[in-house]
Amino acid sequence: MEKYILPDIPDLHSIAVYEANGGYKAFRKALGMKPEEVTDEVKKSGLRGRGGACFPTGLKWTFMPKQSAKPKYLCVNGDEAEPGTFKDRQILEFNPHLLIEGIVLAAYAMGITTSFVYVRGEYGKWVRMLERALADASSHGYVGDNILGSGFSTNIVVHKGAGAYICGEESSLMNSIEGGRGYPRVKPPFPAQSGLWGCPTTINNVESICNVPVIINNGAEWYAKIGAPKHPGPILVGVSGHVNKPGVYEMPTGLPLLEIIYKFAGGIPGDKRIKAVIPGGSSTMILRGEQLEGVCMDADSLKAAGSSVGTAGLIVMDEDTDLIQVITRISKFYYHESCGQCTPCREGTGWLWKILQRFERGEGRTEDIDLLMDIANNIEGNTICALGDAAAWPVQSMIRRFRDEFENRAKSLTMGSSTIAL
Amino acid sequence: MAKITINGKIFDVDPELTVIQAAAQNGIEIPHFCWHPKLTVSGNCRMCLVEIEKMPKLAIACSTRVADGMIVKTESDRVIKARQAVMEFLLINHPLDCPICDEAGECKLQDYSYKYSVGYSRFDENKVHKPKRVRLGPNVMLDVERCIMCSRCIRFSDEIAKQPVLTFTQRGTHVVLTTFPDTQLDNKYSMNVIELCPVGALTSTDFRFASRVWEMSSTDSICVGCSRGCNTHVWVRKNEILRLTPRFNEAVNSYWMCDSGRLNTFRTVNSQERLHSPMIRKDGVLVDVGWDEAIARAVSDLKSFKKSEIAGIASAFATNEDNYVFQKVMKEVIGTKNVDYVQHVEDDAGDELLIRADKTPNSLGTRQVGVRPAEGGLDITGILKGIEEGSIRALYVLEDDIAEDPRFAAALPNLQLLIVHASVNSKTARFADIVLSCSTFAEKNGTMTNFAGRVQRLRPAVATLEQDRAKDGFAMSRWDKFASQNDRWGRSVKKDARPTWRVLTAIANALGAKLKCTTAEEVFKEIAEKLPPFKGMNYINLGSQGANANAAESVSKQKVTA
Repeated sequence: MEKYILPDIPDLHSIAVYEANGGYKAFRKALGMKPEEVTDEVKKSGLRGRGGACFPTGLKWTFMPKQSAKPKYLCVNGDEAEPGTFKDRQILEFNPHLLIEGIVLAAYAMGITTSFVYVRGEYGKWVRMLERALADASSHGYVGDNILGSGFSTNIVVHKGAGAYICGEESSLMNSIEGGRGYPRVKPPFPAQSGLWGCPTTINNVESICNVPVIINNGAEWYAKIGAPKHPGPILVGVSGHVNKPGVYEMPTGLPLLEIIYKFAGGIPGDKRIKAVIPGGSSTMILRGEQLEGVCMDADSLKAAGSSVGTAGLIVMDEDTDLIQVITRISKFYYHESCGQCTPCREGTGWLWKILQRFERGEGRTEDIDLLMDIANNIEGNTICALGDAAAWPVQSMIRRFRDEFENRAKSLTMGSSTIAL
Repeated sequence: MAKITINGKIFDVDPELTVIQAAAQNGIEIPHFCWHPKLTVSGNCRMCLVEIEKMPKLAIACSTRVADGMIVKTESDRVIKARQAVMEFLLINHPLDCPICDEAGECKLQDYSYKYSVGYSRFDENKVHKPKRVRLGPNVMLDVERCIMCSRCIRFSDEIAKQPVLTFTQRGTHVVLTTFPDTQLDNKYSMNVIELCPVGALTSTDFRFASRVWEMSSTDSICVGCSRGCNTHVWVRKNEILRLTPRFNEAVNSYWMCDSGRLNTFRTVNSQERLHSPMIRKDGVLVDVGWDEAIARAVSDLKSFKKSEIAGIASAFATNEDNYVFQKVMKEVIGTKNVDYVQHVEDDAGDELLIRADKTPNSLGTRQVGVRPAEGGLDITGILKGIEEGSIRALYVLEDDIAEDPRFAAALPNLQLLIVHASVNSKTARFADIVLSCSTFAEKNGTMTNFAGRVQRLRPAVATLEQDRAKDGFAMSRWDKFASQNDRWGRSVKKDARPTWRVLTAIANALGAKLKCTTAEEVFKEIAEKLPPFKGMNYINLGSQGANANAAESVSKQKVTA
């Protein structure tokens, strides 16, 4: 199968190799198009964001005002902090010029003067790799003033985060770039109206942006035919957990999860049964192993199965997995990463984790299961940003699909008994 | 205008408003912690979640702009469930130490717990522990465990006080309010964060643990710390003022007041230096006497001087009623032309928010009621010179410590007679022959005119010997109502002090005048009848918010200092 985002070309990170393989061709092509034609092409391609929400990228670009007295900004989200997700890192390492070319294309389409690539703080090595690629792209005239003599100028700034999951949330990301605390902003206003420093801003995921040169090179119609019709294109799937060959695999959208697990990732060690799968990073809803038949890696199929694509970080758990331990660890993550700004997330994530720790110790109670569900329901939808939802969904889905695991771990509080488990 | 429906009722509202503002304007309260009308919207507490038709999720009323045709439900099952959830979340890590918390009784979290919470907790885990006694600045103490991270104090410091020293550190449930390194919350308005704080996280270092709020009475009054006249609540227990807090008046001080006003102005009232009774000088020493003796002495002494030898110094610290009666008695009864008052303007002491350079609460009113030399009389400079040169031999001083000025202190011994109305043993009182112990701003009825011409009422909050809380219509605390004289809450000290205008009236009538007013309200009625700036005003229509002096007639344009 052809690969577009991470093709198997040695040393593609070097600008000479990238150029020799058709690199920066898309941008030259775009220079012959009007900016809105570039946006139209992305819109027609059907590309949906790869950062987790699957929002149509071209449509998002159209929210930017055509005329603006203030500068317009693009933020490229490489914070990649969702457990189970490690795909953008591969791009930064193996194909950084694709990202840079995509940014320049997006900047051209939206009339952006400065783009910020926000890379998670722990990715020190990959920040350096991107910076090196950016320096090469600048010295070759692909970034900066009067690019390729076109009269179009745009700059790219690599911004290293300081180590907070919340800064991958787009409005916190903007606060973080501004030098502020990583607190999500209340919406509206939306970033396209008032984003970085109050200026019109678009935020796209690293992988989303990397699809843009592919679309411009090959055309929207061609792109739209790849993979699942309503969620087309190549997608990077990061497979982790109990598989023989964990890693990042590029494939068309819409492939069956079982095919990904068994053909790409080499199946389960010891040929054990799959107990559960988290399809798109730790915040997406967990699926039972026996319900995977026919479920595919695209937005519609996973929605129908009761989960979502998220960042396509597929976490596979075999039959020996202690799911109580899994959900406790996931809850600890969201508790630890909750920014603390709004009440339900700040208080609810900690409460969930404390109860789950009791289950882990064997001190859970049957009635705690409904309490967990109720707390998760009370967080979901009531918070400033989606971190609250991200904390609620794993708990909700774990209880819905693996209630027996909780019941088996719970000590029941028997009325009238002299031994009341606490 | 936008037509919106809230809970089935249709309202026409300004389309610029948010849902919470539109609801409030129409008498519908949407519970909230972090939202405040004078601060930017932060949207963090989630208490104001409401249901809006066509929106899939509940929306926060504080940041959602109204739109024509919008249908809002503030009491639907979904909203009530979300509200109860927010309350439950806020309370799980809250220490629930209401029995020892200063805020109890005026705590939004406590009030809402009764109103919007389910009444029990499902939380069975260990609470998060945080620092309990953090001094944010000289006047504000923080208990981080009680904090609900609403950020009102941070926004106030940034946006209103313009001293951005507060911030949150840490994440999630471990978030801690703190000051930036090497800074403290020490701006002139720092204590406003105490009322802004919807819980007991921020408390007053001055008032901390002083009283339960329901044990105090609260009286609507005004601050006498400068010519702004911030509206206040005076909080009294056992006839003693324990604190002053700001009272909302958009025309004067909005929701705020300065730290100095709230900490320093009531010290005089409670002071150990308060006079016990009137005093007269006998054999060179001031001794306590009864009112009849003091007044008789003043009358006989005043009679022994020529009119031109007498001067009167009114006071911009006194009420309009005091000053009006004073200038009238001086000019019409005693017959002197030498009447003026002392200004107390501290250059550069004012700021752009509230604090005025004029440190008296009533200088404009003093002029408005006629305190000025009569035709050919001496002004304040002339009076001082007259004392120094010996042409002024008798001086009558209202509630102003003129001897604070070294020139007066040097000149006063030249006088043959000095009559002083004072509440404490002031420098001027020590020079006096007759000291008439006067009620402070917190012990009498009266009006004052602020720098902008706003006429506002003072109301008695502390009872003097001649007053009774119940019979004289004072604000009453629980103890005032239910304690008896034989338990310690019923016992209190009352000062033998009288309002200046009333003592002046007695002196005038003893000198043969026929002044009829027996209450401050009657004096004000006469002022309103005679003096154009006060036309149409009375104690009822001044109400709790005051009224602007009639602009066209106001003398405010003549000489407004600061």
